[in-house]
Order: sequence, then C-alpha cells, then structure tokens
Amino acid sequence: MLHVKDLSIAVGGRTILDHIDLELPDGELHVLLGPNGSGKSSLLSAIMGLPPFEVTQGDVLLDGQSLLGMAIRERSALGIGMAFQRPPSIEGVSVRSFADAMGAAASLEREAAALDLAEFLSRDMNVGFSGGEIKRWEVLKLVLQDARLLLFDEPESGVDLEHVGAIGAAIQRACKGGEGRRAGLVITHTGLILNHVEADQAHILREGRIIHSGEPHAVFAHIQSHGYTVPEAA
Amino acid sequence: MQTELSGHLSNEERAILHDVGFDSETSRAGTSVLIDHGLRLIHTTDPNVEILPLAEALRTYDFVQDLMFGLVEPDANHDVALVAEHMRDPLGHFVWVKPGAKVELPVQTFTLMETPQARQFTHDITLIDEGAEVEMISGSAVPGSVHKGRHVSINETYLRRNAHCKSVSIEQWGAAMQTYSYGYSDLGEGAHDASTSVMMSPVALSESHSRTTLGADADVSNQAIIFAAEGTTRVLKTQIELNGAGARCEDIARMVSSGGTIVNDALLTGNASETNGFLGCDGLKLTDQGEIRAVPALVAHAEGSMLSHEASVGMIDNDKLNYLMASGPEEDTARSLIVQGFLALEDKHIPSSLRQSVTEMIAKAKSGGM
Repeated sequence: MLHVKDLSIAVGGRTILDHIDLELPDGELHVLLGPNGSGKSSLLSAIMGLPPFEVTQGDVLLDGQSLLGMAIRERSALGIGMAFQRPPSIEGVSVRSFADAMGAAASLEREAAALDLAEFLSRDMNVGFSGGEIKRWEVLKLVLQDARLLLFDEPESGVDLEHVGAIGAAIQRACKGGEGRRAGLVITHTGLILNHVEADQAHILREGRIIHSGEPHAVFAHIQSHGYTVPEAA
Repeated sequence: MQTELSGHLSNEERAILHDVGFDSETSRAGTSVLIDHGLRLIHTTDPNVEILPLAEALRTYDFVQDLMFGLVEPDANHDVALVAEHMRDPLGHFVWVKPGAKVELPVQTFTLMETPQARQFTHDITLIDEGAEVEMISGSAVPGSVHKGRHVSINETYLRRNAHCKSVSIEQWGAAMQTYSYGYSDLGEGAHDASTSVMMSPVALSESHSRTTLGADADVSNQAIIFAAEGTTRVLKTQIELNGAGARCEDIARMVSSGGTIVNDALLTGNASETNGFLGCDGLKLTDQGEIRAVPALVAHAEGSMLSHEASVGMIDNDKLNYLMASGPEEDTARSLIVQGFLALEDKHIPSSLRQSVTEMIAKAKSGGM
C-alpha cells in the first residue's frame, strides 16, 4: 500500500530524513522506533503532506501513485489519515459538528461508544481534553474518516500507563478490525504501545535514516538493552 | 392592562423575521413586531408580561415618563436628538416583566423595515422588575428587496433589584443601509444580565453605542459576534460602569472581517470596591482588505477594582486548517468550521440560516484569504 522510496526531506535547507526506504503492505501494522529528534514525526508529516517539509529526493507512493505535489486534502481523500501527537484545540467546533463535516454523522454514536467517548460529542475538539482523551479522539477521527492508511504519531505519549492498553486496543481495532484494505504506521519512542498491538514489523530510525528493520518484539528488546543501535546479527 | 394588536403578519414577513429569531407568538410569553412606522403585532400569553406601544404606555403608567430618557439625555448626540424630536408620537414598545415573575417562555421583539429608502426612528423601553426572570429575543430585518434606508434606535433597559435576563439580539439589515443604535442599560443590586448580540449580515454602516451601569453585586455577561464582509463597516462603542460594590462584568467581542471594517472601542470603568471586570476583543482577518481595530480601555477609580482586558487580531491558524483537512473536509469547509467556531455560532439561539449565510460569506472571502 505505502512505499516510501529513497525519500529525503529538508526544512530550510537542513536535511531531516536521508534516503528513507519503507514498504508497508496491505493489512500490516508497522512500528517506527527512534529517539526524540530522529525524524519520526517528520516522516509522518511528509506522508500526510503537512508543512514545512520539502521533499528533496525520492518519492512517497500510495498504491503506486505518487503523493508528491498533492495537497493535504487530496491525500486525505485518498484514504490517508493521521492521529496527531499534539493536535490543536479547535474552539467552538464540537466533535459532533466536525463529524457532520466529515460526513460521518451516521456512525459517530456507535464508534464513539466503542472508544468510550460517547460523552464527548458536544465538547469542542481537543479543548480541555486530557492526554488520554486526545489520543482516543485522534483514533476515533481516523475511524470516522474511514482511513485506509492510518498514521499514528506517538499515540501513547501523555497517556497514563494504565490507559495505554486502551489506546493500543483502539489502534489494533482501527487497523486490523474492520473490513477492507488497511495498513497502519505507528511511531513511538517508548515502544510501550508494542505490548498492546499486533505489529508485523518494527523499524529503527536514527538521525534521519532507517538503520534496522525486524520482528517488533526482538527490535524492542534490543533497544531496551542496547539503545537505538543496529543489532550485531543484522 | 394588556393591549393586543392583532395585525396580520404575512407568511413572507414571518419568514423574514424567522431568520432573526422569530417564532409563533403562541409559543412566546410576549411578542412585539414593529413594521416601518407602526407596531403591527403585540401579543402576550403570560399575564406577568405586559407589552404596550410606547405612546400608550406613557399615557397609561406615570412611571414610564421617568424611564423614558432616564438613561440618556434627549440631546446626548445628534441621533438621539433626532429620535427625541419624533416624540410627539413615539414609535416603539414598552415591555414590562412584572415583579417576581419567572417567565418560562421567551419574550420576543422585532423591527422590520419594508419600505426602501425609509427613515425609521424607534425608542423601546424594557423594564424587568424586581426579582423577575426572563429570556428575551430581539431582531431587526429587511426583506431581500430592501437594501437602502436609515434606522436609528434608542433602547433603554432597566433590570431592577435581583432581576435576571438572558437575551439574544440578531440584526440582518440591508447591504447599503445605515443604522445607528443606542442601547442603555441599568442593572440594580444583584441583577444579572447575559446577552448575545449577533451582527453578521452586510450593511454599509452600523454604529452600535451602548452604556451599561451596574449596581452592587450586579453581574453582566456580554457576547458580541460580529462579521464584516467587504463593503461593511461596523463600529461598536461600549461603556460599562461598575458603580456598586461587588459588581462584575465580562464583555467578549468576537470579530471576523472578510474585507469589511470593524472598530470595537470598549471602556470598562470600576467606580466601586470589590468590582471585577474583563474585556475580551478577539479578531480574525480573512483577507487583506478592510480593518479590525480593537481598543479595550480600563479605568479604575476605586481601590479594589480588578479590571483586565485581552485583545488579539490574527488570521486563521494554518495548523488548525491543516489538522481539519487531514481528516477529509475541503479547505472551504475547514475554514468555515474554524470561523464558525471562533464566532461560537453553535449557540442554539442562533438561527441555522445565519450560520449558512456566514458559511457562504467565508467561502466568498477565500480568494484573498490565505
């Protein structure tokens, strides 16, 4: 589904991602691990088309179609959706009115209940939400959008440990629970989410480059004991 | 005493007024509709609400003489003097909510100008008596065929001790009209007033002058929602005086210019101890045309008067726009949502037709927007 092909991006002339290659097939959930500042969020932004990143090399393909030059709205229309790490507060726009604008009013009540957000529908988006509430709303947003390529930017950050499981379950359900072709890419620097999703592959991103890919739990175990380094056997 | 004016409102007139908040007179505690130069309809369904033409109220109740020009001098300025000169046969209504009344249904008052190039001068007086509680809806409108004219109004509102009022006023004038409104309110001890003013439709020039005086422990909460499309100039001059100990106020103006000019000049004065007041003026600029000018000013005369203000003018936050578009909505829809949210248009009192017209104006403004 997603093919990041020899991608380099820069901001103001400074290289952020350097010759990234990543393939995410239909039905798979991948996790991208890396320290703060390694470029993980930048990669998601480049896929979603969010500024201020400039593609200096390579391509991003969705089902073989290049996304370069496409506006954010065109990418979302193709089925790319993103759960933001720190979404902006949208005062005066309730969850319900935004769902209406997305054309998802019919499924709102059911999907919100599944994420324990039934009481949130009249609240303004992200206004006064706790860390966990923001993350659950971001997942719900992707479900309402009916996204098929789901991007999650640090979904467990700012969430109480006891609630990380609920976020993970929601991600699992959103990526692998429904019908149709879907794929998910989760970025994390703690790796905690790995305990709660069935990831198919993990990648280590360091200093703008993917330095290793492998079985998720093995990769995470390596990071816990050796940091964000290339395993010797690799 | 109850006066009923059962003049007929056509379906077209009802539809025009519906857009500014009108509902059937049978579903309101009281209704007053003024069309051009006469009161067409007065109807009450609640014995604790009395509505009279002002001229009749002056003849019926001695005390109305003291209420009239009780909050503003007849020669305060040119426009007020203009209205005062028409006082041989004053045009306007007197609304009286009786002492202690807990009025369940809203009271509604409307002004409709049907004659093109008309000159309308009105004077309304509202008395919400001691301990009474009421919700008021008021609106001003013209038919689609009327775009030129001049409207000058004076409103004097009295909230007696411990009276409570929640009000919404919506205006929808013609695009080439000039309107001048002068609103004066006096809140007695412990009175509470929460008002929302909606000024959205195109108008050549709209000047709204208001002065509110608060007695001890009185509380006022004002919210103004102001939109200026290209060709519209709106000037708001607001004065709030906290005269009694413990008086409080919050005055919030949300302004959006899509090419028009908005001037918001607000003055908050603390004249007594333990008073607390806040002025908030936030503006959103959608194009390079027009102007938003926010001038909040504070004057403290008494020790222990806590006054503050906040003013900001900016453009639509691209982060918010991108965030919304990343979930599917088109840019126009996303911009409209942000502006409607900024203007807090989800309030159930604001007719959906107004929200629709604002959406269209925002879409039109897009070309020079981002």
